[in-house]
Amino acid sequence: MSAVELSPLQRPNDRLRRRRAVNRAMEVLAWAAGAIGIAILGVVVWSVTKRGAGQLNLDLFTKAPVPFAIGHVKQGLANAFAGSLVIVGLATAMALPVGILVAIYVNEFAPRAVRNAVGLTLDVLNGVPAIVIAIFVFGLLVAAHGQSGFAGAFALAVLMLPLVARATIEVLALVPGTLREASLGLGVPRWRTTLGIILPQSIGGIVTGAVLAVARVAGETAPLLFTSSIVGNSVGWNPAHALQSVPVAIFELSDSPNPDDHARAWAAALVLLLFILVASLSARWLATRSRRKLGRAAR
Amino acid sequence: MSTYDAIGDEARRPFSGRRARLGDLSLQTVAGLAAAGAVSVLGLIAYKVVQGSRLSLSTFGLGFVRGIGWDPVHNHFGAASFLFGTAVTSIGALLLATPLALGIALFLTELAPRWIRGPVTALVETLAAIPSVVIGLWGIIVLGPVLREHVMPALHSTLGFIPLFGTPSPAGTGIFTAIVVLTIMILPIVSSISRELFLGVPTELKEAALGLGATRWEMVRGVVFPYARGGVAAAMILGLGRAVGEAIAVAQVIGGVDNLIGWNLFNGGNSLAAKIALDYQGATSQLEVSSLFYLALILLVFSLVVNLVAQVVVRRVARRQGLVAR
Amino acid sequence: MPKHGMLIRITLVLAAAAAVSALAVAGAGAASAKRSSGSLTGAGSSLIAPAVAVWSQLYRNATINYAAIGSGGGISQISTRNVDFGASDAPLTKSQGEGCHGCVQIPWALTATSPVVNIPGVNADQLKLTGTVLANIYLGNITNWSDPAIKALNKGLKLPNLKITPVHRSDGSGDTYVFTNYLSKVNHTWKTKVGCATTVSWPTGVGGAKNDGVSAIVRSTPGTIGYVSVAYTIANHLRLAKLKNAAGQYELPTISSIESAAQLVKATRIPTNNKISITNPPKSKTFLHAYPLATFTYVIVPQSTSKAAELKAFITWALGSTAQSSIKKLVFAPMPGSVTKAAKKTLASVHS
Repeated sequence: MSAVELSPLQRPNDRLRRRRAVNRAMEVLAWAAGAIGIAILGVVVWSVTKRGAGQLNLDLFTKAPVPFAIGHVKQGLANAFAGSLVIVGLATAMALPVGILVAIYVNEFAPRAVRNAVGLTLDVLNGVPAIVIAIFVFGLLVAAHGQSGFAGAFALAVLMLPLVARATIEVLALVPGTLREASLGLGVPRWRTTLGIILPQSIGGIVTGAVLAVARVAGETAPLLFTSSIVGNSVGWNPAHALQSVPVAIFELSDSPNPDDHARAWAAALVLLLFILVASLSARWLATRSRRKLGRAAR
Repeated sequence: MSTYDAIGDEARRPFSGRRARLGDLSLQTVAGLAAAGAVSVLGLIAYKVVQGSRLSLSTFGLGFVRGIGWDPVHNHFGAASFLFGTAVTSIGALLLATPLALGIALFLTELAPRWIRGPVTALVETLAAIPSVVIGLWGIIVLGPVLREHVMPALHSTLGFIPLFGTPSPAGTGIFTAIVVLTIMILPIVSSISRELFLGVPTELKEAALGLGATRWEMVRGVVFPYARGGVAAAMILGLGRAVGEAIAVAQVIGGVDNLIGWNLFNGGNSLAAKIALDYQGATSQLEVSSLFYLALILLVFSLVVNLVAQVVVRRVARRQGLVAR
Repeated sequence: MPKHGMLIRITLVLAAAAAVSALAVAGAGAASAKRSSGSLTGAGSSLIAPAVAVWSQLYRNATINYAAIGSGGGISQISTRNVDFGASDAPLTKSQGEGCHGCVQIPWALTATSPVVNIPGVNADQLKLTGTVLANIYLGNITNWSDPAIKALNKGLKLPNLKITPVHRSDGSGDTYVFTNYLSKVNHTWKTKVGCATTVSWPTGVGGAKNDGVSAIVRSTPGTIGYVSVAYTIANHLRLAKLKNAAGQYELPTISSIESAAQLVKATRIPTNNKISITNPPKSKTFLHAYPLATFTYVIVPQSTSKAAELKAFITWALGSTAQSSIKKLVFAPMPGSVTKAAKKTLASVHS
């Protein structure tokens, strides 16, 4: 029993008790939601890891697939990994320079209205579903000339462009104006300032944007399904032909009734997931580092 | 250095005058071309999709939107069942994901002990990075049998009087499975945006409410939610846009049934995006290919509208909260 | 001038040049995406895919790339000349033939589609079905495995009270063509209501993509029935159902029952477009043990193509005895001599 006499205002009454109960209930719900979220994520990642780790071996990367194999034949997904390397590499080579140039234009040369318009267009382009981009590139390049790794790379580049451009715009804007003004004040022309001073300062952020964009498109299936899916089983490196890719391989294997096919799909999924995770983490580390560096330069 | 030398240096500066202007002009031109190209890609996409659907547009007109069934034998194609599938799966996923996402965001900003916040946030963002084909693979092999054997019969026996939970499909695929998969896919988007919004609520406002005697929940309801309302709306719209456009994971788990519009969530179905992905390689006639383009056109229009609305809301919210330097 | 200015400038110029050339090469590369010599790319029927897989390992004169996307897909891909050859179990319809602009179809293998079931308590090769019952199942008229119509055919077999889920192909499929061709012949309602094609509007049931998809669904879901190319039933240990032929015998798809059905070709002349149907052979002593769902499968090539030499070499080899006997283990029966002769004659008309 309390030694202090509480006034009526301070004594817990029914209304306060009810409010506290509601608060408790909401806290429990929020904890539950947190737990469910962790559980869902945990289940998916655990599934992929457990099922993929078992089949993860060197054969996956070095041996080509042997479909309809009767009995146990050593096979892997070498053609998919090779193709993905080529296609994603080409896509980056296409998207990165264009994205940087767009960012330069937006940051250095564009009047405000154009800047907003381009920014809005980029954001809208980012939201166009990958399947629509896929059918667009199909109509543009594949319908007339057939499938090819180039068409696939182009489709992925269209997906990467808004990400690269956005990231570069943001990091270019972070470069302190004093640097630009000092350079211009010394008589260095605009283009040399931009290319020789501003750009190198923002390299960290640009690379971050590029790595994040690669992480995003490494797992894209729909664009490659339309542009580079009729492939053989042998390992090919020539982008003029259609090349197999990891996400398309997983998509095709997921429909198979054969548990061996499923095992290889899980292994490929694990590799893909690890690649994307490593890329995202290193991008984030790069971003923190470059932001710190720019912060120091401003001082 | 004497003034004379300085002037002399200036005169001898190698990158002045015409050459500098040429350099500036070329950079501006090239960069401007790149920007023009980037902007025109969007227009080109719209043009190509419209061009591809012209045959189907002229054959079916707007009735395509109302027509049910996809019949290559009698050359009759209609988008209604796919619109239905897209609507039901996206809205269902949004309804399931939003409370969960808000709960997770609240948990991470208000309730969780400090040492949990970092890892759980990282976990949620990992989920966002999982490619849709991997989630579809998981949906077919892990989720489908679980739903088929445990969840769907349980829901049917307890809630079977609601037409939504009719007879379970025997295959484990269907609209319900697609809803669960889509929920998992949009959960990270809505929750990480909400988390950032909740973190951005000024602490003075929160402390003022608590100081006045509000319980934690009342503070959240009275201060955090109203402050973050616009942003959460934007997050929901973005999540909806993602769900509508998702083709691959949905194609893997939705069951590929074209002619059915009904109440039962356990039926098989199909969505706009999934149909395009599933049917494109095997489309046999020009009219069927054109009808697939027509589906893509509907999808494009819808996602453009959703995206524009989301962008407008995001920009307005950001401006209001002073997050944008412009 | 910054210390590394020159270096940075050169790097940027090189990067820009690399990007420009990458884009230019991309455009040119996409424009000239023709397959290099020494390789053939084909797409289509999943029924022939196991055979092509065996052939591509045995054939030494070119690399064979093949994508099983369904017979419908094969027809549309070769019509747009995206591939060097298309493969389809269904012969080209008149409009498809026109859309293909001068293609010929050449029969190059002989096999069958088979009904497969997953009924708890019923083992492989046990269940007996007739065409009428099959049609009614897929029409949605028979909905339970314990239905009297099924019980009447299977006295002595314990059939559970389980809902039937008919599984069909969701993609454009030659197996669908064979299956619906047969059902149209044995059931008038089917013929008028649904018809016969590579894709039809199914009254009921769930869809699976390609033979793999249907096999996966039937294999994992109790109560299902589907139709699958025979080669897939072996690899996936699916349980076949016996089908009653016109002579009244319940048959399984074997080399001999398929060969027996192929005798139908002798009775009728092979048309110039090689359109042959051997489903539901009539009642007679020759066809006593004929399998009702047997089919030829075609390779579709343009009559005028730059790859004529490689295609002719490959297809001639495929028609030869080494190739044909290499796929016998996948239940592909050797083709009758008359069909091989007609195939070679059509192949001769292909030129570059």
